[in-house]
Parts: sequence; structure tokens; C-alpha cells
Amino acid sequence: MRNLIISKKFVFLITVLLVISITLAGCGGQNNSNASGQKQSNVPVQIVFYAQNSTPITDFDPSVEFSNGVVTLNNIYETLLRYDPLEKKFTPVLATDYNKSEDGLTWTFHIRKGVKFHDGTDLNAEAVKFSIERTINLGKGASFIWEPVKEINVKDEYTVEFKLKYPAPMDLIASSAYAAFIMSPTAVKSNPEGWLTQGHEAGTGPYKLESFQMGQEVVLTKFDDYWGGWDGKHFDKAIIKKIPETATRRQMVEKGEVDITRDLPYEDVEALKNNQNLVVETGPSFENLLMLFNTDKKPLDNKLVRQALSYAFPYDDVVKYAMGGYATQARGAVPYGLWGHGENLFQYKYDLEKAKELLKQAGYPNGGFKLLLTYTAGDEAEKKTAELYKSELSKLNIELEIRAMPWESQWEMAKDKDPDKRQDIFAFYWWPDIASPYSYLYNMFHSQDDILFNLAYWENVEFDNLVDEGSRQSGIDMTKAEELFIKAQEILTEEAPAIFVYDKQYIKIFNKSLKGYKDNPAYPNVVFFYETYREK
Amino acid sequence: MKTFIAKRLLLGILVLFGVILITFTLTRVIPSDPAAQWVGPRATAEQIKAARIELGLDKPLYIQFGKYLQNLLRGNLGYSLKSHQPVLNELKTYIPATMELVLLSTIGAIFIGLPLGVMSAKRKDEWVDHICRFFSVGAVSLPTFWIGIFLQLVFYRWLGILPMGDQLSMNIKLMYNIPKITGFLTLDSLITGNFIVFKDALTHLILPGITIALYPIGLVARMTRSALLEILNEDYIRAARSYGLPERMVLWSYALKNSLGPTVTVVTLSIGYTLVNTFLVESIFSWPGIGNYVATAVISLDYPAIMGVTIFSACAYVILNLIADIIIALDPRVRI
Amino acid sequence: MFGKMFSPEVLKPQIRELKLSIYLLNKNKLTRLSMITVILLIAFAILAPFIAPYPSHIYGIANPQDKLLPPSAKYIFGTDELGRDVFSRVLYGTRISLQTAILAVGLALLIGIPLGAIAGATGGYVDEIIMRITDIFLSFPPLLLAIAIAAFLGPNLQNAMLAIAISWWPWYTRLVRGQAVSIRERQFVKAAKAIGTPHFKIVFGHIVPNCIAPVIVQASMDLGGVILTAASLSFLGLGAQPPTPEWGLMVSTSRNYFLNAWWYSFFPGIAIFITVLAFNLLGDGLREIMDPKTRKY
Repeated sequence: MRNLIISKKFVFLITVLLVISITLAGCGGQNNSNASGQKQSNVPVQIVFYAQNSTPITDFDPSVEFSNGVVTLNNIYETLLRYDPLEKKFTPVLATDYNKSEDGLTWTFHIRKGVKFHDGTDLNAEAVKFSIERTINLGKGASFIWEPVKEINVKDEYTVEFKLKYPAPMDLIASSAYAAFIMSPTAVKSNPEGWLTQGHEAGTGPYKLESFQMGQEVVLTKFDDYWGGWDGKHFDKAIIKKIPETATRRQMVEKGEVDITRDLPYEDVEALKNNQNLVVETGPSFENLLMLFNTDKKPLDNKLVRQALSYAFPYDDVVKYAMGGYATQARGAVPYGLWGHGENLFQYKYDLEKAKELLKQAGYPNGGFKLLLTYTAGDEAEKKTAELYKSELSKLNIELEIRAMPWESQWEMAKDKDPDKRQDIFAFYWWPDIASPYSYLYNMFHSQDDILFNLAYWENVEFDNLVDEGSRQSGIDMTKAEELFIKAQEILTEEAPAIFVYDKQYIKIFNKSLKGYKDNPAYPNVVFFYETYREK
Repeated sequence: MKTFIAKRLLLGILVLFGVILITFTLTRVIPSDPAAQWVGPRATAEQIKAARIELGLDKPLYIQFGKYLQNLLRGNLGYSLKSHQPVLNELKTYIPATMELVLLSTIGAIFIGLPLGVMSAKRKDEWVDHICRFFSVGAVSLPTFWIGIFLQLVFYRWLGILPMGDQLSMNIKLMYNIPKITGFLTLDSLITGNFIVFKDALTHLILPGITIALYPIGLVARMTRSALLEILNEDYIRAARSYGLPERMVLWSYALKNSLGPTVTVVTLSIGYTLVNTFLVESIFSWPGIGNYVATAVISLDYPAIMGVTIFSACAYVILNLIADIIIALDPRVRI
Repeated sequence: MFGKMFSPEVLKPQIRELKLSIYLLNKNKLTRLSMITVILLIAFAILAPFIAPYPSHIYGIANPQDKLLPPSAKYIFGTDELGRDVFSRVLYGTRISLQTAILAVGLALLIGIPLGAIAGATGGYVDEIIMRITDIFLSFPPLLLAIAIAAFLGPNLQNAMLAIAISWWPWYTRLVRGQAVSIRERQFVKAAKAIGTPHFKIVFGHIVPNCIAPVIVQASMDLGGVILTAASLSFLGLGAQPPTPEWGLMVSTSRNYFLNAWWYSFFPGIAIFITVLAFNLLGDGLREIMDPKTRKY
């Protein structure tokens, strides 16, 4: 008993001492910080800090990553070309130029000389062949973009040739934000399998991986031997960090702690526009929101009902209140700004009378049915959209149940063998793997054997033929391809297997001192740090 | 004594087994395909099929469970479906930050909550008691997540006197490399004599620290009060008083000593509760701990991660209970 | 059988006890205040749809042109991100919170009481098995268990309720078992046994009715904690779904807006606080007068 008391007192004493010493030390620390041996020389000259809502990387393997990690990988690795979809132009990166044969079946790329990988290996045609073949053979992530490739031949040290099974736009594919990275064969071969995934890299990009905390942050540091050189004003280090709380991100960017951020609620964006230290930049992104209907199930198997539901959708309110005006109502499935977008396509307008009339024609004069809508948990814009829609549908005596679900769970639900067990409406975003209308039209609406992303379960032979032909033509004649894709979308809007809600605009908020930043919607959310610099 | 501890230990193991069994069963009945999650949002059917075999999901359930247990004994908690990293490694990175918060709040519970409870009991039904009671009951009734938001609004945004987001400011984090000795950032920076980091870490700790400490302070104060009140009505206390012993002595060395059992229990209990409360608070402060980790895992149904955190918390809870039992058992008046 | 248990003869001392309790509850100011608050809350819960200024906003009718307006005469608690009246929604939230909590506790009682009674009345292996399972459930924080269960069951209010009930029943099992063990030895139970009443009837006809009172008291004291747990689950996205005006969900959603609209976070949060506080204070008061050791006349 006594021991206990003594030890208690003892603990108390120690703690008090500790607290006192901590406080004293804390006070003293401020004055002699320089004397206490801190290496001030290690302080990097320039740091750029990018805060976002999603994890900076999910898989460090450039052949596998098919998610938010492109934000990191596009600074560590490079592709043969880079595509500017707004100017519709290609910039040479690791390839200096390229040409294609008349039939679009043979593509030749000339590789840049004097490029070094981070491990010191030199870039050559062999490395390009190795990288792409590795991606194809692993068969993970976005490797399907190489599907048209029959064989890759090394013509000489700096020339590589792609032979295709059928015509395809190889330049678009080679500039994809996913699965088109070139990596050092030496590094990959000399290390065990899974080495890259464990947090290593073997790129040619301007930045090397310095440190990372999985799911949280990545710190990049400059690669001294970068082929582009370091003569200009560049950042020495770059940080990409996940900060999920929008309020925290906003406050940090306001205080200048964060240089660049995105995905803030629109109310915040409005408020930040008035901040003199910040720049709010917007422009087209290739991401669009759709409400995919379960066309296998009553009453959505009826075209008239689908059209009615398309008329009942409050497009203007959603754009204005769910997106704060930072979106435009979609016109067809291909977003504004991308080739294949139909300027003159039919667009549904909010019209409850028309919706009522169509419902009457379809045999539901007083509504009276119930629909289930699922959206991704945590997505504020989808949530608001769903709530606004629910509010309108209740006026038609249609009950809309809204359910927030983890993405995987709702996808699992949508893939159920039994159509009755699936959700009726799936709030669904699409963004391009390659910057082509084919990506949108094929994945979501082309008929397929297995359910994957064709989550409207819609089948239409005429549409299928137009899309297939469009894809073939895009390797040969882009104008022709564009026509076919637009024609396909005419069927789509008439049949209404989905509501085409809005084309999102990207919004980036950055510090005024950050210069050189330019958004490229073909590389969603990527900041190419090498191009940016600070100027007070 | 020995058989008592052995019995408790056995129960602890039984509890852990139960927890693992329950969570494992739950993960297998949920409508979500781990294989699809493993390969990511834009997978092909073949990729998912391959992943199913890779993850052993094609085998019967009992074999999967056996495999899980086997791996668990080797310290392998599986791989996170999102990050593809071993869950154990991730837990190791996130636990210290959480423990820092838990430790701080436990100190608060002992040095603020306990005296409050004693004071309240001593002056029962006086205004001091009313205030203490209101405070302690108030502290356990506050939604922690909400008070976190408001502390942040007041001290970071309106007054601008305290920092937030992560454990350190980014520039300080990049400038200094703090070696991991204890894993607690504040302690490590103190040991290495890096006072700039220490100060930064300490100021970052204040807001989440207060938010998380309120509940255990209130809980301990409340429990101490009721335990003491019960004892103060015992005959031997009345006897001590009637002998004219000083009130302070009666209170601190007779009464409090005898309410040691319930007090120890409630302190350990509060540690367990605090651990779970971090789930609600860390995300608000972008605190890089397991609470933040599990909050994300819960939303994305990353079940190996959820199981990892659940098992870790259950382990911590079992160990805490064991410690509490042993401390109480050391009291010679408890005969087993 | 039940009728006999609740006959006036048996109930007389209990009624006297009840009257005394109410008298004592009224004596303590803090307890009295909390009692009034609880009564008010119950009134709000019942009357919410009738007294709310904008009843349509409760069920999610959007009014976006009035979004995020500060408190004013028109909207005394301001509006949310879709222009809905926060006051109406917070008011209706009372009903949702009380309903969830009462149902969850009720469900927990439904599991806990029979198990505890069977364990206490039967003894032996049955007792051992039931109580070890109970120990397992008691061995970790209820919120953790609820989170794990709700995460796996899928997010909605019913599942959150179920998750809370599953993590809460063991407390009642333990309490009832203790009661049951002592009642088992009472004369009337022995008598019933002697005349050959089936075991099942003894458990549910004699033991359960006689140990139900303290359990109900305990359960009502738990309501505060359960309300907080339910709000926490919703805050994590594991409970109510939009547009349900659940307090935890409202605070959670408001995280995106509180920098511009403090009222949106403030009022649902303070509603949780007041409700939980009132129930906890009332529970404390109840505990004190129930326990003869701390009872003061």
C-alpha cells in the first residue's frame, strides 16, 4: 500500500519536473536555435507545396498505377509525347518526332538523345520497347490502351517502330497520362519483382522521389542530370500532400502555407476570388457527370420514362448550386473542349410539364414509382446534385432514395447479375484514359459481354457500329472519326440511357507568387512542377 | 495471484480471437469485392479474376480464415486494398501520432480530472460541486468532432494564434530530420535538443490535444466523484472523522486510497475511449494517426485496414484491462 | 402470470418508491433542469413537423436560392447549402435522435434481458458460455465495435441502430444476470419450481418481470451516450443518409461550409450537446437517488 502511494508521488514529481523542463526548454530554444547546431545550409532554396483531396499515389509502379498517382508519376517519369487537347497539338518529350504510314498501321518514333534515367542509364529505343512491353505483359492498370499494338521493333539505337493490328491513334496513346511511362530497364531488371511498387522509381523526369508516406504525402527533389537542364527558375523540391478537410486546405492556401490546391467547395472558391494573394483559375476539364439509368429494369427500360426523367432534371440549379457555376450542362457524352464534342447535339432542358406528358404516354400518369440513386460517399457535388434531383422528382410523385456508398460497393451493386438488385440510377464520372471520344462512348455505352463500365446495360447495334468505325478511322482520318462519334451521340441522346448532367470545369487555387502553371485536362490534376517557378 | 493473472490473460486471448472472428466474418458478408478494390476503379474483368486468385479469395472461407490467423501470428495483417502496403507497416507509421494524443489526454485525465472529482465530492451539493459536475458531465456530453471544428475556427482562423494540420509545419518538416527514438515527435525533438521542431510540434498538438482530452477529463472527474461519495458514507470514514482527523487527511489518504480500484479502472477505460475518439477528431485536424487512417478506410471499405485498426485497438484495450486488473489485485484488501 | 406480478399488492412499495424518487429528483436543481429539458425535447420530437416553420425542408425539398444565409428573422438558425431552414431541420433532428436511441436501446434490451435472465436462472455451462461471450463484447469500446459493424453492414440509419444495439446489449445481460441470480433464490421462484412450472416459464414469467425495473433505469441513463454514438456514426458517414436531418450528419456536411457559415455547424452541434447533457445529468441524478449509499433525504 505504502509503496503504491510513494510511487504515485514519485510519478507526480517526475511529471512535474518534465513539464517544467519542457516549458523552460521551449522558451530557451527560440533564442539559441542557430547555435544549437541546426544545419541551415540544408535549407532548400525553393519549395512548392501542392495540397489535394486524394492520395498522391496509390502504386509506384508506372505500369500499374491507374489512379490519382499520375499527379506524382508525371513529374518523375515522362512519356514519348505530351498532348495539349485544347490546342490539339503534340509536344515532343522523350520522342523528338514521329510519323505514321498511310494506312495508319505503322508508327515510327525518334527517341531523344542524351537523356539519362535517374539511375544513370541512358535512354534508347531498347528502353522504350522494354517499358511498353513490360506494361503490356503485366496487363494491369491502363495497359489496355496498348491493345492495338502487334509488335514493337527497335530500328536503331534511337528509332522505335510500332506495328499495329488495326489503325489507332498511336500519338494519343503514347501521350496517355496512364501506362505510357518510360522506365529504366537496368533498374527494373536488376531489382526483384515488386521493387517499384514498394516505393522506388526509375524515371527520366525532372524530379526524383525523395521520401513518401503512403496515402499521405510525397516529397520530390530535383534530378541534377535532367535533360531539360536547370538553368531557369525552377523549384528544388515539390511536395504533394493529401489534406482531406476542405476547410484546412482553404485556410492553408489563404495563409500561404500551401501554394496550390483544388477541389474546394464552390462557396470557398467564391470567397477566395476576392483574396488578393491568390489566383483562381478555371477551364475545361474532361471530366463529366452522368446519371446512368438501369435500362434492364422497369420502368427505366422504357425510353419515354428515361426521356421524362431527363426532362425532370434541374440542370440549371445543379450547375448553379451544386457546382457553383463551375460547370456547363453537358451536351452528349463527350465533354466540351475535346474533339468529338457535338456543338449542335440535342440537349434536354428542365421541363416538368414535358416530363409529365411523357410519363403519361409511357403509362405512368401519376408517377408513383420509387427509384434508388447511389453516389460516391464523401462527394459533396454529387450529394447536392442528388438532393436537388430528389426535390424535383418528388413533384412528379416519384420517390428517389439517395444512398451514399463507397465507390467499390456501388460498382459491385451495379455489376450484380440480377438487374433488380442493381441501383436504378448511378451517379458516375468519366474522365479520359486517352484523350479520345472513344474512351467515353465505348466504355459506358458500347454493348459488352461482361458488365464493366457499361452500367446503363444499354445495347444498340447501330450505335456500336458507329463507335467501332469511329475508332478505326481515328488512326487514319480524324475529321471522319469525329463525324462518326457525333452521329453515335445523336442516337445516345434520343435513347437517353443516361442523363448527361454537366461537364466539370477544373478549378485550381494558387498563390500569386506561383508562375508558369498551366492546366492540361488530358493529365487530370497534374501539376508539372518543372514548368512552375516563384516570382514575388 | 498467478492463477488470477493467467485467467485474465486467457480471457484476453479469447476476446481477441472473438474480435478477429467477428470482424473477419463481417468482411466476408459485405457486398463489396475486395479483388475489384485491389486492382482499382478501372479494372478489366480479367484483372479482377487474377486478383481474386492472388488474394486467395477463391478458396473456401475456413481456409481463408486459417490463412489469416496464420499470417496474423507472424505479424502479417495483410495488405491495404488502397495503398497496397502491408497494413502493419502503415499502422506503425500512424500509431505514434495517435499515442501522442492519447498520452496527453491521459495526463490531463489524471492531473485535471482526478482533482476535479475529489473537489466535487468534498463539497457535494455546494456551488463548487455544481460547477465541477456541470463541467465534467458537459465534457462527456460534447460531441468531440464538433468541438474540434469550433476550436479550429476560433484559434486558427479568427485569432490566428495556433497552427493546425499535421504534426509540424511543412517547412520545418523538410528542414529538419528528427530521428525516431521514442516515435513521439515532441519527445524525440526534446531528446535531440531540437527546440524549433519541439516548439512547432507542441503548438500543433494543442488544439487536437484539448479536443481529445475533454472527454477523459470529464469521465475521470465524474467517476472519481461518485466513487468517493460512496466511500465517504462508509462507517470507517465516519469513524475517522469522529476521531477528529483533519478533513484533508480523511479525504486524500483514507477515502481516495480506497477508491483506487474504481479510479484505476476508469483511467484505463478512458484511455480506451480516447483511442476510439481519435477516429472522430484526427481527420478534422489532418493529424497523421490511425484515427485518420481508419476514417478513410471506413469510407472506402478497405477491410484489411479496418481489421488491422480494430485488432490493434482491441489488443490495446485488453492489455489496459489486464493492467487495471493487476493494479487492483495488488491492493491487499482484494482477496482472490 | 404477468398480471399477478404487477398486482397492486406487489406494486404498492414500488409506487411509494417512485413517488419518493420524483420528489428527490425535483430537489436537486441541476437534475430538475435536466428533467425539464428532457421533457421539452420529447415534446419537440413529437411536435417537430407541426411547429417547424418550413416543414418541407425537413424532408429535403431544396430551396437553393436561399443557400447559406446567416440567422435572421426569416431563418432563425440560418440556412444550409441547399437553402433549407436549419432550425426546422435541427428541430426534426430531435425526433430522429431520440427515435434512433430508443430503438437501439430497446433492441439491446431485447437481446440483453433474455440472455441475462437465462444465464442467471440456469447457471452452470449455459451461464458460463453466455457470460464469456458477454465478456468478449464488453472488452472493447462500444463505439469501436459500432464503427466496425456499421462499416461492414453498409451505411444507413437502420444499420447504425443495429450496430449500436449489438455493441450495447452485453451491459444489460450482465446487469440482468446479477439480478436473476438473487431472484432465483427467492421463495416464490422456489415455490414455482416445486410445483413443476417449466423452466422457460420461470425465466420469463417470474424472473424477467422482477428484474426489469433497474434495467429500464439503467437503459434510460444510457440514452445520452447512445445519442452521441449515433451522431458520431453519422458524422463518420456510417449512419443517416442525406437529406435526413440527422444532427451528426449535418455537422459532418457542414465541415465543408463552416468557414463561411458557422451557424450550419453550430446549431446541430449544440443540439447534440444539450440533449446528451440533459440525459446524462438526469442519469446522474437517477443513479444518486437509486443508490441508498449516496441518497440524501
